[in-house]
Amino acid sequence: MTAGPHRSPPADLDRTIGRLLIIGTNVAVLLLAIGCVLLFVYRINPLAGGPPLEPGLIVYDISHLQPAGFMWLGLLALLATPVLRVAVSLAGFIRRGERTMSIVAALILVVIALSIVLGRAES
Amino acid sequence: MLVGLWLISGGVAAGLFGSLLGLGGGVLIVPLLTLVFNLPLLTAVGVSLVCVIVTSGASAGVFLERHVANLRLGMTLELFTAIGALVGGSLAFLLPEKALEILFAVLLTYTSITMFRRGRAAGGPEEETVVDDEVEGEDQFFDANLSGADYRVKRVPAGAAGSVGAGVVSALLGIGGGIVKVPVMHLVMGVPLRVSTATSNLMMGITAAAGAIIYLSRGLIDPFVASPTALGVFVGASIGSRVAHRIDVRILRGLFVAILLYTALQMLLRAFS
Repeated sequence: MTAGPHRSPPADLDRTIGRLLIIGTNVAVLLLAIGCVLLFVYRINPLAGGPPLEPGLIVYDISHLQPAGFMWLGLLALLATPVLRVAVSLAGFIRRGERTMSIVAALILVVIALSIVLGRAES
Repeated sequence: MLVGLWLISGGVAAGLFGSLLGLGGGVLIVPLLTLVFNLPLLTAVGVSLVCVIVTSGASAGVFLERHVANLRLGMTLELFTAIGALVGGSLAFLLPEKALEILFAVLLTYTSITMFRRGRAAGGPEEETVVDDEVEGEDQFFDANLSGADYRVKRVPAGAAGSVGAGVVSALLGIGGGIVKVPVMHLVMGVPLRVSTATSNLMMGITAAAGAIIYLSRGLIDPFVASPTALGVFVGASIGSRVAHRIDVRILRGLFVAILLYTALQMLLRAFS
């Protein structure tokens, strides 16, 4: 049902995903840190309320060294990291011929897609 | 600027204590943001979910590289925690804030009792017993693929049900849900404690992401609050993981039980004020 004769050791997939999580989290935290430094440089009170997410403004804000651009990019990278982990796992399971785990991974991505749809519908 | 530094410091404390005591940061961050910084509960929950993803990403990556976390078990159960998070994230906007505050006070009390019992168990001969009876009708797939080299996973449907509950609580209250998942995996499914904790850490990321996406869509993740707090949690958790073996957590645990109970009381007072 799952494992084929050419199945690679599961450890390889674990290592790849482990690396991905560490790199993704570190990159996201670095972006958040840059945003925080800029927040201090501009003497902005964090409790005054940050701007809402506008994806079109992220590049503009970053190019103009605005904290919100770095922070939103960092937060999006952070949210994307576990989702990317599932997508990479899905690819790994398909490559190994693990059909049931591939379905499980695909269903997790469907649930994530549903949360995006649900969030938009409710907002 | 001072407020930003306080947010970072609060995050450091939450990340440090969380990693020393085996808690996710959420149980500390939500009270910190609501009771100290006077933010609305749902904003605090949104920020806390971001912090949970940070904690999960950093620790689960290491656990996977060291082959402590069980990827297949984690992914099977996180399908159900993510479904629970979808429900919890939607439910959070339907319940009055007062009800959420009362629920959080209950969670804090439950966490402090769990920690108190764990402390007593660590000090004496008493130990938690894993349910070890044979289960009939095991599925061949789960038997072969979810089990580890030295343990066999049992009662996957019960684990799935517990995971839905953990997902609901996670998105509703902004916590990682390890307080539900770890006992379910360890005591019900027969997974060793170390593997249960590591696998729970792995699952927290996607569970919190499913909930956080809903909060983000509702405009309840404030980048100016979330960024310094998450940065602090990252730093605190990194320090905690490095000094954990040098610190006697027994005294820390006792102090923490008292802090959690005090915070539960404050949360109740806020709910009824």
